[in-house]
Amino acid sequence: MKKLTLEVRQNFIVIEYAIIAILGFLGIWHIAVTFTSIGKLVPGPLQVLAYFFQSFVVPIGKNTIQEHALISLERVLIGYSVGVVLGIASGIGMAGSKLFEAIFKPLFEIIRPIPTIAWIPLAILWFGIGEMPKYFIIFYGAYANVTLNTYAAAKSVNPTLLGAARMLGMKEKDLLLHIVLPSSIPQIFAGMQSGLSASWMGVIAAEMVKSNNGIGWVIIMGQESANTVQILAGMVAIAVMGFLMASGMRILEGRLCSWNQKKI
Amino acid sequence: MLRRIYLKRKYVIISIISVVSFLLIWQFICDYAKLFPSFVLPSPTKVLTTFIKKFTNKSPDGATLLQNLLASLEIALSGFALGAIIGVPLGIAMAWYKKVDLIAKPLFDLLRPIPPIAWIPIMILWLGIGTAAKASIIFVSSFIPCVVNSYSGIKQTNNVHLWVGKTFGATNFELLRKIAIPSALPYIFTGLRVSLGTSWVSLVAAEMLASTRGLGYMIQIGRVVARTDVIIVGMLTIGGVGALLAFILQQVENRYIKGK
Repeated sequence: MKKLTLEVRQNFIVIEYAIIAILGFLGIWHIAVTFTSIGKLVPGPLQVLAYFFQSFVVPIGKNTIQEHALISLERVLIGYSVGVVLGIASGIGMAGSKLFEAIFKPLFEIIRPIPTIAWIPLAILWFGIGEMPKYFIIFYGAYANVTLNTYAAAKSVNPTLLGAARMLGMKEKDLLLHIVLPSSIPQIFAGMQSGLSASWMGVIAAEMVKSNNGIGWVIIMGQESANTVQILAGMVAIAVMGFLMASGMRILEGRLCSWNQKKI
Repeated sequence: MLRRIYLKRKYVIISIISVVSFLLIWQFICDYAKLFPSFVLPSPTKVLTTFIKKFTNKSPDGATLLQNLLASLEIALSGFALGAIIGVPLGIAMAWYKKVDLIAKPLFDLLRPIPPIAWIPIMILWLGIGTAAKASIIFVSSFIPCVVNSYSGIKQTNNVHLWVGKTFGATNFELLRKIAIPSALPYIFTGLRVSLGTSWVSLVAAEMLASTRGLGYMIQIGRVVARTDVIIVGMLTIGGVGALLAFILQQVENRYIKGK
């Protein structure tokens, strides 16, 4: 009981300091903007927040900010889910079949080091300026990361587990589905996390390069019209969404891999 | 034994056949079947000749491949160095000193979910399209993984080691310098490797959006003038140099980190 109260008190201290730090940061920002010449270049925190909330009803371009965010999110979800499914399939396939590995791995290794963002010009030339190049870039960001992690995980499955399953008479083709895949799930999730951030970065970059809506468009338009408030409000939206997506993944992982959670 | 060598060779041979046939099919589609015009997909030989020519030829972006590469490397490495010099000590300080942790962690967590490329517009607006803007973007992108990894590295220090140090009368700073930091080095190096990768990526993005030189600029111009061969040369160079940088850092790590 005593230990619990100590923990609770510790948490209170953490929250207290967090509030002090953030308020202090915003306070310094506000004071610097109001009383020095930085104000000409940087808008104050109140201004940014006001603009952020105002843009929920007043549209930026054709859409309000939550519509822009949802447009970006929709793009990510489409490209990302295809990338994850194909990535898991190729990773498991490479680990499961020597022949497939020999054929596919060298090609994958040539393409893998090319960053997601470097595909943007080629994707635009290939698929035009519609939705397709964005899906492709998001797909690539997810696919490269998920394939790599799935492959590494499936290659390093505990041989004892495989041996036990074989001894108990499991067929080779069932091994893949019932032993290799489940034991690779934690690392697949790690790949899905880094794939999600690569995809999210890719969609923002793609929207910045060529688009007429989406959250990346909001900040690049802010740059073109020298509207710093709009850029910062867009960055707030990007941060909130990035945070929500990463936490969503973590919760999903906690649910699906509860057997793997480390006891701390 | 012989059979095993044969089997090993067999897969190597299949790999070589796979790459070669991939290139042959690509060549066939472009040159003989003519399924795509060359501005959509140039043949591999075209890409190769463009690659060789680009060492001396300045069109279409006004710089040779080497000039672009050096411009990119210079900015990427300087931003990366700055991010590492500030990020690693900050991560260590956050993990070791409770007060720093309490103050800096919430602010850091506030900035962390913003992907580095989202900083591009604001940096360009504040600092123009010169070196300063790009170096700051790369600073942001390399800073974050450095902090995160140094932080978790120090936090994972084995308590038993610390107790031994305390028993032998080490001061708090000695504990940090002689026990915590050495045992966190593998983590710190992972952080450096990750941030070198992200620096390289954000640099390409920054150059695509605002620059007059560099590999990102080269592929962006390639898109504008529909020179797909230049884009592919640029992409392969970006990928190759990124892999090379990662490899070099890995070698440094293997050299200096013992007892992994």
